[in-house]
Amino acid sequence: MIKNGTTDGNSTPARPRPLSPNIQIYRPQLTSVLSIANRITGLILSLGAVGLVIWLSAAAAGPQAYGVVQSVIGSWAGQVALFGCTFAFFLHLCGGIRHLVWDTVHGFELRSIYISGWTVVVSSVALTVIAWVISLLIAGWPQ
Amino acid sequence: MNRRSFRSPLARALGLGSAKSGAQHWWAQRVSAIALVPLCLWFVVSIVTHAGSDYAVFAAWIRTPLAASCMILLLVALFHHSALGLQVVIEDYVHSGVRFVVIILVRFGCYGLTVIGIVATLLIAFSG
Amino acid sequence: MIIESSDRVSRLSWFKRFPIPRNFKVTPESRIEKGRTWPAPAYAKRVKAFEIYRYDPDSGGNPHLDTFHVDVDDCGPMVLDALFWIKNKVDSTLAFRRSCREGVCGSCAMNMDGTNWLACTRFISDMGTNATIYPLANLRIIKDLVPDLTHIFAQYAAIEPWLHSKTPEPEKERLQSPEDRSQLDGYYECILCFCCTSGCPSHWWNGNRFLGPAALLQAWRWLTDSRDEAKGKRLDALEDPFRLYRCHTILNCTRTCPKGLNPGKAIAEIKKAIVEREK
Ligand code: HEM
Ligand code: SF4
Ligand code: SF4
Ligand code: FES
Repeated sequence: MIKNGTTDGNSTPARPRPLSPNIQIYRPQLTSVLSIANRITGLILSLGAVGLVIWLSAAAAGPQAYGVVQSVIGSWAGQVALFGCTFAFFLHLCGGIRHLVWDTVHGFELRSIYISGWTVVVSSVALTVIAWVISLLIAGWPQ
Repeated sequence: MNRRSFRSPLARALGLGSAKSGAQHWWAQRVSAIALVPLCLWFVVSIVTHAGSDYAVFAAWIRTPLAASCMILLLVALFHHSALGLQVVIEDYVHSGVRFVVIILVRFGCYGLTVIGIVATLLIAFSG
Repeated sequence: MIIESSDRVSRLSWFKRFPIPRNFKVTPESRIEKGRTWPAPAYAKRVKAFEIYRYDPDSGGNPHLDTFHVDVDDCGPMVLDALFWIKNKVDSTLAFRRSCREGVCGSCAMNMDGTNWLACTRFISDMGTNATIYPLANLRIIKDLVPDLTHIFAQYAAIEPWLHSKTPEPEKERLQSPEDRSQLDGYYECILCFCCTSGCPSHWWNGNRFLGPAALLQAWRWLTDSRDEAKGKRLDALEDPFRLYRCHTILNCTRTCPKGLNPGKAIAEIKKAIVEREK
């Protein structure tokens, strides 16, 4: 039998070699954190899109069904979910625009990567707050 | 032992060879993203300015040709973009044969939701 | 907050690792166990502790984390010096690769305090209070800090890293204008240390099919070489949902490259070239 570890790199030893840790130890950095955030927000928005279709269908079904959906959205849980979707939307929007700029092969210097990254974070928080302040000013506090 | 281990490292790295495709998917993701920027912003601004309004006001808004058209365009771009994006996520994390089934189901789901959304929009637009 | 070059260690970090269980997706043979602690010599005045990943293939056991207390006054300034100090003075079985000890051979790449870098160019003083040293991430380990690079070198071979030319060989050298030569700057300097590929999350999940940043940077180095005559063939071989498009522009690669190169940008160039020939 081949003794483990005594083989060259081309053959597989009798006992599988351990895999060195990856995500368990790799330090989170702005690069990877914003990337996974773009993915998670994309997933949240996909759920939000299902909500949009439910909302439109309810409206098409008539005022009663629409009223039910509106009251769900108006509940505290509904408002929290909507707030989450708004933030997810702005984060994904800003992150998405950052991606589109990269696709033109611009902004790849580390300094630019970090500046655009923090810009995405700050502007998505700001846009979320602005959107909610305006909507609350127009509609008043939800009950 | 595992017979696959006798394949050369280069054979393993080359795998089944290049698909000579993938640019289309990538390009469509970018095109749908570009379309979504104005459409989503229009949607968010509309929702914010209609906050708290009742059914009559809402229905009147969808009945305007601009709103109905934008809503339909939004639904098409949104679910196209989402289907492409979700496919990539599934390919990344699901490595068993299940992924083919899941990708097909996601596609069907996205196309179905697009049609339901468009029909609902048209029903509101042409009602009353 | 704003990192300007890849040699900057982030002082500020909200969390040292992603909030997932320690043994997330870890198969039994890869589970890391607690190891032993080696004290510093009694005379040592300034002592620094290093937690180091150990794996002995002949023991039949699992990898474990040993803690070594290094006499900083007795060893050189770099992490590689600390490793030598340990090997010479404490535990001669500690295995690691090194050759040039000046950042040109790429042998000593490893994961220090959570990011990949060269042990010979990382100052001990830049390491955190609980300094940790692991082998390059996501590779099969032969012994201690020595990973099996067979697969990622095969991926490098897969991009055919040599000049392809049909034009009959000229009598003297193949000429290249200074401008054309400058196109290779930022790419030819790659030392194949694989810090980037080993730090790329997309390569972690799909390394069997995704070529990874090191091989793709090399692919662009040949694509952009004015003397190469196989641009189309090279792009054909790269255009693939996994080989190339698994790159999601995470940019861990650019963040970590110890030579300050930009694999992320090279990959964007390839994607752009593929669109350009199609549209
Ligand atoms: C508002 C404008 C939007 C822009 C500019 C945008 C942009 C992008 C871009 C560029 C990507 C690719 C990122 C990558 O390569 O990893 C992406 C991915 C994605 N987007 Fe969007 N997007 C937008 C809106 C949306 C919406 C509304 C949804 C939900 C329906 C969505 C769902 C997704 C998903 C699921 C992904 C895949 C994530 C991944 O591959 O990691 N996006 N988006
Ligand atoms: S930019 Fe691409 S290659 Fe670089 S770390 Fe990200 S996914 Fe990997
Ligand atoms: S691109 Fe940089 S990190 Fe990657 S192999 Fe080359 S030198 Fe190492
Ligand atoms: S020993 Fe050569 S790069 Fe570190």
